[in-house]
Amino acid sequence: MNLFQAVTSALDNSLATDPTAVIFGEDVAFGGVFRCTVGLRDKYGKDRVFNTPLCEQGIVGFGIGIAVAGATAIAEIQFADYIFPAFDQIVNEAAKYRYRSGDLFNCGRLTIRAPWGCVGHGALYHSQCPEAFFAHCPGIKVVIPRSPFQAKGLLLSCIQDKNPCIFFEPKILYRAAVEQVPVEPYNIPLSQAEVLQEGSDVTLVAWGTQVHVIREVASMAREKLGVSCEVIDLRTIIPWDVDTVCKSVVKTGRLLISHEAPLTGGFASEISSTVQEECFLNLEAPISRVCGYDTPFPHIFEPFYIPDKWKCYDALRKMINY
Amino acid sequence: MAVAFSAARMWRRSRGLGPAALLLLRRPGTRGVTTSHPCRQQQQFSSLDDKPQFPGASAEFVDKLDFIQPNVISGIPIYRVMDRQGQIINPSEDPHLPQEEVLKFYRSMTLLNTMDRILYESQRQGRISFYMTNYGEEGTHVGSAAALDSTDLVFGQYREAGVLMYREYPLELFMAQCYGNMSDPGKGRQMPVHYGCKERHFVTISSPLATQIPQAVGAAYAAKRANANQVVICYFGEGAASEGDAHAGFNFAATLECPIIFFCRNNGYAISTPTSEQYRGDGIAARGPGYGIMSIRVDGNDVFAVYNATKEARRRAVAENQPFLIEAMTYRIGHHSTSDDSSAYRSVDEVNYWDKQDHPISRLRHHLLSRGWWDEEQERAWRKQSRKKVMEAFEQAERKLKPNPNLLFSDVYQEMPARLRKQQEALARHLQAYGEHYPLDHFDK
Repeated sequence: MNLFQAVTSALDNSLATDPTAVIFGEDVAFGGVFRCTVGLRDKYGKDRVFNTPLCEQGIVGFGIGIAVAGATAIAEIQFADYIFPAFDQIVNEAAKYRYRSGDLFNCGRLTIRAPWGCVGHGALYHSQCPEAFFAHCPGIKVVIPRSPFQAKGLLLSCIQDKNPCIFFEPKILYRAAVEQVPVEPYNIPLSQAEVLQEGSDVTLVAWGTQVHVIREVASMAREKLGVSCEVIDLRTIIPWDVDTVCKSVVKTGRLLISHEAPLTGGFASEISSTVQEECFLNLEAPISRVCGYDTPFPHIFEPFYIPDKWKCYDALRKMINY
Repeated sequence: MAVAFSAARMWRRSRGLGPAALLLLRRPGTRGVTTSHPCRQQQQFSSLDDKPQFPGASAEFVDKLDFIQPNVISGIPIYRVMDRQGQIINPSEDPHLPQEEVLKFYRSMTLLNTMDRILYESQRQGRISFYMTNYGEEGTHVGSAAALDSTDLVFGQYREAGVLMYREYPLELFMAQCYGNMSDPGKGRQMPVHYGCKERHFVTISSPLATQIPQAVGAAYAAKRANANQVVICYFGEGAASEGDAHAGFNFAATLECPIIFFCRNNGYAISTPTSEQYRGDGIAARGPGYGIMSIRVDGNDVFAVYNATKEARRRAVAENQPFLIEAMTYRIGHHSTSDDSSAYRSVDEVNYWDKQDHPISRLRHHLLSRGWWDEEQERAWRKQSRKKVMEAFEQAERKLKPNPNLLFSDVYQEMPARLRKQQEALARHLQAYGEHYPLDHFDK
């Protein structure tokens, strides 16, 4: 399956096993602008897979209400770039529902899905990676898969998780990424990073599409520099797996974090700050962040904006030679 | 796990885009089923036919240029059952409620009023941090609450304590929340008056305005799917109705056919902002038809009018799976909150008029008296009794400890994340060393 088919499969499994589950958002009825919901309305009915008016604050607010009433709500925001009208509902409402009510009420059955990340021509409003805005919000979980197999397992875990979750889907991988994905449901745990490749000299951390970039950088480092890299996919942004990353940095002494989102205030700042607190004496070099520039996401300049393998390689080389 | 990329050459360059354009691929012919809309007919396409074919509106052509004048001079009329003296105007509108029920209305409204006076005063004395009274709006709460089933889910804004009072929420728990003491089911997390009660189907209040509106719609949709024969009621003020969330909620409720009652308390002010600065149309009721929502405006100070409208709205919302909008006209007699002094923006005379001449409690009392269901002696005894009940609960609430500081950390997630547990442990260690600087004596150990 490709990534969007893996998402469809997860949604199909969810609607099959949970009679309360519903999917809604803009254009989901005909199959969605990225085909993630194709066939589901025919299979499960128009009361379970339906379009909403064009209103993100409504979509998320409505989803919270469904979840509060005890049903499973799977909301789609058409692009992560458009999640901001729903920011109040997510941060002030969904994230705080259980805490503020003393656990009398909660909206744990809410999952929000949105296409995320650069796509080659998306520019300002079809390329954003807003995970850092949500990382600062206790009470929600933010999850980003790197591949179809990961997407299905992580999405199922988000849907079943007892807390409101945001699931960002790297849109550039929707069709491009293809792998074997089981048709039956399976779960990949949240808040657990995955070490894709063990190494001894440098720890590389990324999530979503960027994981593939750092994997390639790891190969380049091995070939050109004889350097052994440990590659980690963070997978869950919050609550994040501090232990796996720190354990790795204790071993390697060097950390490079890379994300498309702008450098300042990006999630690499949080990782960097924590790692220097926990692993200060193990560090052989300053922690390196290879990120997007502090600009809106440009259109024609995308090839220059993105933290590509050359920038990551260059930063790695400097770290090794520090 | 091997991940095959169909555009493998993507990675040879610096991650520019391959030929695949993944954005917004709207292929003709992949549209799903046509939406069935009850009032739109399938148009037969014919070049000889001069009728409009637009999918977006079901209307005739007109060849005269005319703007629709919004009708604000005489707006949507206000439904009432009693006159200001409490006499039933049109006998066919009398709900014929039994004496016990009407006495329950009266006791709920007056007990709320008594509790409001005492708790407002307790804030002035520094005993609680904040309070909001319900003066003048008791009729909107009790009339509507009485018309619902006890299991109908309530989403409120912050000035609907009478709904909880009608549902017999104990005084002890109102006070516990205001004091944030260890009996508070909300675990002391929120400012006073942010009540919530699962057993009484009253969703916990939150401060951001109008956020509850689309949430209530979602809950109604879930109730419809569950065949629960339940309505959801959503209260909000005329100020909150300006928020985008209100627009979102109305539109979703109509398009998704949800069994929900939108209940707007139009009390004339949003803190200091009068309605003339809040909207320019004919209030909130006039917006309903714009969304395709059945709408009515009622006299919010007439508890029977509120009751009748809510009762009928409930019956039809559940039977027909459609939303209803009730705009209850009333007046906010008290200040917005203990942080407000409304003499800064309105005259004492204006407030006195409503307090003395058009108050839901007085109107109901006149009605009760004229029916021989109440008298001065019962009034005296009830005032004494209700004050005593409130004072007892108040004194108890004062004496109780606050919850254990560990409860600062729980319920952020269903399970406590490792990182948060470390923070909790850090606070515990900090208190061991510096505890003398913290009010630990007031908190449960």
